[in-house]
Amino acid sequence: MNTQNSIVNTVFSQIQHLLDDKSRSVTEDMPLIGGESVLDSMKLVELCLALEDTAAEIGFEFDWTSDATMSRSRSMFRTAGSLAAEFISQMETKK
Amino acid sequence: MIVVTGASKGLGRAICERLIEKNIEVFGLARNVEDVPFSSMSCDVSSYESVRVVAQHLKKRAVKVTGLVNAAGIASMNLAVTTPQSVAQKIINTNLLGTIYCCQLIAPLMLRNKHGSIINFSTIAVVLGLKGESIYAASKAGVEGFTRSFAREMADFNVKVNCIAPGPIDTSLLKGITAEQINKIVSQQIIRKQFKPDSVADLVELLIDGRSDSLSGQVLHVGGA
Repeated sequence: MNTQNSIVNTVFSQIQHLLDDKSRSVTEDMPLIGGESVLDSMKLVELCLALEDTAAEIGFEFDWTSDATMSRSRSMFRTAGSLAAEFISQMETKK
Repeated sequence: MIVVTGASKGLGRAICERLIEKNIEVFGLARNVEDVPFSSMSCDVSSYESVRVVAQHLKKRAVKVTGLVNAAGIASMNLAVTTPQSVAQKIINTNLLGTIYCCQLIAPLMLRNKHGSIINFSTIAVVLGLKGESIYAASKAGVEGFTRSFAREMADFNVKVNCIAPGPIDTSLLKGITAEQINKIVSQQIIRKQFKPDSVADLVELLIDGRSDSLSGQVLHVGGA
């Protein structure tokens, strides 16, 4: 559980690093796509690349290009929380 | 490394050979790579999953991909009303979706380096509106539109995206087209001559070269149109 919390914190801190308003805190329900997204599309790509690096350090490959992860209705980018959950899920499956 | 689709024959093969001649590392993709004498992998560009396997392979090898040439393409010269649905689907899947899939999945390998050049392929048939090429031209018009928008999406990452639109180049794609038909198309080009694959390879070399860094989102017509 502690590991999971620490991963969630890592993902959230990477999101925060890309926010224009650095004083804003990242929450589980913060949208990453759609009209209310806090990140523009370029920042979203930068976030994916940063998560790839984090995954490599942990020892697995983070995949953000599969059909399932990109599907809008099921997209891992719905919220900061869903992205962290997907990251943890891939870590647990692939590690 | 430059990834080239359609690497087993025609323009794709000629482009690979030119780049290798210039000591540029090439990774060829084609459905059948049995007779491909350079580094290559089997890939059906019309299948997202097949392209994804290639992208993952390159990522695992940690190769620095600096270019993508989407030369894979098929043609079927026929009136739209006499073209079977399956053929129309295959043309769109290979020419348009194949280009989109390769861009979607290979471009991320260039984003990290903030450097790269993507070259897509259209045809002179788009601007000339050639009879008997409506479905082929439609697929390539889609490639041109995609190229212009994708170029803007990639610009912040310093990845250029351009399109080469050849006239009737002397390759196997022209199989079944008469000399008279070829001459008729060539006569509508600004430079009225049939070009060889070498001329297309020249343009690819230019677009991959750092000296063309000011070009993105452009369609270059071989022979002029």
